[in-house]
Amino acid sequence: MTQPTTPISRRSILRTGAGAALAVPFAGSLLTSCSIKSSNAAPANKAVTVTSYGGSYNDQLTKTILKPFEKKTGIRSTLLANTSLAALKTQVQSGDVQWDLVELTAPEYVQAVKEGLLEKFDYGIISDKGLPSYAKAEYGIKYLSFLFVMAWDQKHIPDAQAPKNWAQFFDQGRYPTKRSVYGQLSDSSVLEAARLAEGVPFDKIYPLDVDAALRYLAQHPGRDKLIYHTANQEPVQQLTSGEVTLSTSFNNRINAARKDGARLNFTSSNAVLAGDYFVVPKGARNKEAAFRLMNFMSNDADAGADFDQTTNLTLANTPALAKLPAAVADTLPTSPKMADSILVRDDTWWAENLKATEQRFKLWQAGS
Amino acid sequence: MAGGKLTMPLAAAAPVQACATPRGRAFRVRGAWLLLLAPIAAFDAILFLTPLGTLVSSSTHNQAYERVLGDPLVIRSLINTLEISAVSTLVTIVIGYLLAWVIWRSSALMRVVLFALVLLPFWTGVLVKNFAWAVLLQDNGLVNGALQGLGLTDHPLTLLHNRFAVVLGMVHYLLPYAVFPIFAALAAIDNRLELAARSLGAGELSVFRRVILPLTVPGVSAAGLLVFIISTGFFITPVVLGGPGDMMIANQIDFYAMELTDFAGASALALALTAIVSVLVAVYQRILRAGGTHEVG
Repeated sequence: MTQPTTPISRRSILRTGAGAALAVPFAGSLLTSCSIKSSNAAPANKAVTVTSYGGSYNDQLTKTILKPFEKKTGIRSTLLANTSLAALKTQVQSGDVQWDLVELTAPEYVQAVKEGLLEKFDYGIISDKGLPSYAKAEYGIKYLSFLFVMAWDQKHIPDAQAPKNWAQFFDQGRYPTKRSVYGQLSDSSVLEAARLAEGVPFDKIYPLDVDAALRYLAQHPGRDKLIYHTANQEPVQQLTSGEVTLSTSFNNRINAARKDGARLNFTSSNAVLAGDYFVVPKGARNKEAAFRLMNFMSNDADAGADFDQTTNLTLANTPALAKLPAAVADTLPTSPKMADSILVRDDTWWAENLKATEQRFKLWQAGS
Repeated sequence: MAGGKLTMPLAAAAPVQACATPRGRAFRVRGAWLLLLAPIAAFDAILFLTPLGTLVSSSTHNQAYERVLGDPLVIRSLINTLEISAVSTLVTIVIGYLLAWVIWRSSALMRVVLFALVLLPFWTGVLVKNFAWAVLLQDNGLVNGALQGLGLTDHPLTLLHNRFAVVLGMVHYLLPYAVFPIFAALAAIDNRLELAARSLGAGELSVFRRVILPLTVPGVSAAGLLVFIISTGFFITPVVLGGPGDMMIANQIDFYAMELTDFAGASALALALTAIVSVLVAVYQRILRAGGTHEVG
């Protein structure tokens, strides 16, 4: 009468990352022979599979970059939302690489290079004319700069009473509510935010004193006042549903929600400037198409300007910046006007300390 | 098809040899039947044993066991898993027993209705159920709204992202797994036993305590163990309804694989979980067998 078969096997094997991770190499080994053959037979590279973070950002990427790219070159793209270093590693190790262009955070980029998971970028196909010097790397392009910001729900916190710095953001007396913060550290700067709240100047943040940051968070606002999100679109959902009134987020996500009519706002003051890389996994089937897309992203002024204007993020595309009206240029993460009020995230420190700090933060979240 | 053809000539030839070696005949027929299992065995080998082998070999790299078992976060998740599973099992069994009892005592029509009510959530995805609870339990959700509307509290209670919410979500999922075995145990009771007890002067409570309850103990133990085994593998519910202090072992495996990209560590943890569950399954089957003889006797 009952059907006791599914839950045990599905949960313990498929749902866990390890189960999936270890099932894939096996399936991969069965498929490798056919996939190599098919890619040899079709060298045209008429398609490219791109993997990013989903939500409003994926819509913006499709509209401003991928569609114009297809119009110009005839190369179609599939945009997925489940980017992860773990999945990239599994695909490369199994020899069954499904993705061609993958978004990674800066520390993940360093780790992927160290583990030999990436293809070298072909700057014969990608012209580096439009690329700013910080963006060009051997195995990838730091194609995007964004701001890690504090955001609030305007229905409960009018802009006049909104936090202007992290000390106010974490102040329990000022806002006796819950705050949602990013539960992972790979591209979130919640620990930096805690140090800034304590009054540490920008140039003394790194090397990051993790214990001091956690001590601060335990006192302000207190563990029970923090809830954690794991997906980038979650804060928007949590803020609009009223689950929380304050959250960390990224400037483009809040902007997109505002354009959709959500009553949210954020401040760029005390924001943390960080960036993501696009990389090509070793053995990607359409790497040539991927490089052509990177070339388009870095050099096409119209598409780049449309991207910057739509997202309020800086694309690594210098010609695009020249096309932007000053009012937009001043709001971009890389605008010189903001340089004094934002912290630049130290990718080198994070690349070396990410894993240990993730474990430390997780343990702290769990109550130790 | 092939198996069927193969059995026929064996069976036909058997009588000739049967007189000489009766044991040989039995052996041959049984051997032929085993061939029928070949597709399943192949399926199992490809889809279960091979990945399991990969898991085992992966777990031996980089001193995975040492690292994982020395990680305070893992110890904490193991303790969490045992605690949460034990509490969820206890609550599920108590509520499940009551439900099974009510269904057992109901008229035929009412039984259909009640079974439908138990089955409906059983067929609903766990993710849907969990998010429904998240919506109900949040600070400005329906439950807190009702509590404040009734004047029972003047500020929202923290009902979400804690142990309470996890257990609630799990019990909701697990209930059918307890109701059916317990109902089966109740339905197997000869109702003349109750009549006999009453004729000897036993009251309602006494009948339950001295007749019904002992007879359903095997059913309850089987249900309890089944529910506990399922509980140990929960992954989504602690993520959606729990706080960071409610991480279970499956979440820890996810953290090792996805965040730390430490596949060796994740494999070691997955095998540890598999070992624990395997022991429990073995115990479960013993109880089922014991339960079977009990009902017959």
